[in-house]
Amino acid sequence: MARIRGRLGTTPARVWLLASLCVVTVVGLLGASTSALNQARDGLHVLGRDAGPQAMATTQLYLALADMDAHTADVLLMGTDHDMGSGREEALRGYEASRTRANEALLQASSLTEGDTVEELNVQAVLDGMGVYEQLATEARLLNDEAEAPPGRVDGAALDSYRRATRLMHTELLPKAFNLGLDSSAIVRANHEEGQSAVALGLVWVGAFGAAAVAALVALQLYLRVRFRRRFNAPLLAATAGTLLLVAGAVTALVSSGGHQRDAKEEGLDAAMALSRAGAIATDMQADESRYLLDRDLADNYQQVYLERAQQVLYRPARNLESYYEAVDGVVAAYPVLPGSDGSDPEDPGTLGYLGQDAQDALLPGQEDALAEVLESYSALQDQDRALRAAVEEGDLSGAVDIRMGVADSEDGAFESYEAALADLTELHEGAFAEGIRRGDAVLAPWTWLLPAVAALLLALVVLGVRPRLAEYR
Amino acid sequence: MRFRHRRTAAAAALAAAAALGLSACLAALGEEQSLVDATSLTVGVKADQPGLGLDDGSGNIEGFDVDVALYIAARLGVPAEEVEFVGLTSAEREDKLISGEVDMVVATYSITPARKTQVTFGGPYYVAKQDVLVRAEDTDVRGVRDLEGRSVCQGEGSYSAVRITEGLGIDVQTMEAPSYSACIDALREGDVDAVSTDNLILAGFLAEEPSAFRLVNNPFTDEKYGVGLPHGDVRACEAVNKAISEMYQDGTARDLLQTWFGETGLQVVTSVPQFEGCD
Repeated sequence: MARIRGRLGTTPARVWLLASLCVVTVVGLLGASTSALNQARDGLHVLGRDAGPQAMATTQLYLALADMDAHTADVLLMGTDHDMGSGREEALRGYEASRTRANEALLQASSLTEGDTVEELNVQAVLDGMGVYEQLATEARLLNDEAEAPPGRVDGAALDSYRRATRLMHTELLPKAFNLGLDSSAIVRANHEEGQSAVALGLVWVGAFGAAAVAALVALQLYLRVRFRRRFNAPLLAATAGTLLLVAGAVTALVSSGGHQRDAKEEGLDAAMALSRAGAIATDMQADESRYLLDRDLADNYQQVYLERAQQVLYRPARNLESYYEAVDGVVAAYPVLPGSDGSDPEDPGTLGYLGQDAQDALLPGQEDALAEVLESYSALQDQDRALRAAVEEGDLSGAVDIRMGVADSEDGAFESYEAALADLTELHEGAFAEGIRRGDAVLAPWTWLLPAVAALLLALVVLGVRPRLAEYR
Repeated sequence: MRFRHRRTAAAAALAAAAALGLSACLAALGEEQSLVDATSLTVGVKADQPGLGLDDGSGNIEGFDVDVALYIAARLGVPAEEVEFVGLTSAEREDKLISGEVDMVVATYSITPARKTQVTFGGPYYVAKQDVLVRAEDTDVRGVRDLEGRSVCQGEGSYSAVRITEGLGIDVQTMEAPSYSACIDALREGDVDAVSTDNLILAGFLAEEPSAFRLVNNPFTDEKYGVGLPHGDVRACEAVNKAISEMYQDGTARDLLQTWFGETGLQVVTSVPQFEGCD
């Protein structure tokens, strides 16, 4: 023990000790930065390649299911006139295509929810329910065909089967599908937040090792200055400056990549998923027109749920459809100003819903124009709805059915235009998602080689700084 | 509400960071306080709504909403003895939640876009529908359109009759009473022809006097009963949604609906509702 103390008492031993401290802290800094940068990179990859795209796929399930029920209703409504709108064959093709997409989305969902009992049960329930739904929907179609029901006058037995089918769809399948989509959003959020806090913790370590390295380098510098009467040691000074630059660079890279990742999630993925919900709910909403026409007993209920779904897509305060149509026209006229958002009327919470939210957060280049298109096509869709209900009021059921089939026309219907405009807007957000991930990656990329290179340089400088001094004692 | 502190590692890191003066990183590190970490809860419920939340006279509140709140609390790790119930009126729900007097509101609280700007909603845990209650002997009314020219009672501050007059354009005489129990009294006495509001609320009254009234069972709107949470508490919202999914999957929801409304002939939905989303 005394020997060690004696040894430490000598100048070269102290230089050795301080130099080793410099080496250890610089290596620690290298380790901490590497680990933090890896955390950041992993976070980006999970969001960009795994959880993000999977979550997008899951939100497709609701859309596909709602679309199946929409086509079923349309086919029933057409009855014997197979050429209404884009025709019966096209509607049946649409049904099949949606069925295939629903099955694919279910497969995706089941791999995403593996290990989560609650969600696994939901996926299973949707799978089972889809089989029953298809039976009922086919039965309704066959009964209606057998009865040779004219357009707009669905056969009673067929209607019975369809009621059971759509009730199953709306009480069992769609809610679970929607909840699965929400759950995958929750997974993305949890992953993202965990990743961000891991990186934040990593930043603390980078800062701590950086501070320790600088302290060790300065201590060594001061010791050499006192002991060897030199003004300063250039290599050690360079090493100190290099350490500071390394810490500043690594922290900047981590913070800026975190920022890109957040942008990718919030302006990209979250917004794209919200819009995909806006598309899915609107699909169900426009199908409520068919259900309103073919099931006159429940027409009041279908009219009311139409309004409720519409308000989920774009909310303006309105107690009935007539005032809602006007409010939607008002939004289109005022955009990019959002009616009610100035808070002057305590009864008016503003322009909300999926589209209203997107308008409030509008930041991306081109987003305003794309959203204006969406709002206009949405308003055109509501104009058609107004005409449809007016025709029913006047007792012109066949006119109303014509309007409905025009809306649902897969070539140039009002709903198709809305979907196309919405797809353009969604693409902008998906682009922002990909771009955010790419930028985050690009900020981190040079550090793969920069980090070890700079650390090696720092170590070399420490050696350069102390070697001539130690040589004096040989 | 009390909190448990599970993230000791994070706390230690925080202390280290503070010591190093890197306080800028702290905000990013520490997750926001959330109800999911609570060890006790104060839940706002209705105290005057039979079947949903009713004070039994001794300060003990019971009903469907109370049982749902207890189930959710248990799934959040809060045992029943740590849950305190407070009776709220409809008008108080936002204020008490925002002021923090209650941690959670389960009180026939419909999710609306306007409310969502102030409150984060878990659920809905049930989608009630507006329906019509008439006297038992009044067998003519099969749907809301049959109320044309008749009188309908609505509770003060409620829009239920407006939905019939403005929403559906049906010409009914609207009568306003201080509360729905007053409406029920007026219906029993023959002062009005019908009471119209959420079917769960009507079923609750009907369960008390099954022979006096009849539920028409022809609903026309959706009322999404949500779990009101402090605005922005996304983690709690997600945990509540998970709890509600489990409540339906394990059959508890079915049992509770049966317990509180089984005798009334109300057609209940026993599969999980479509959630509103937490953001």
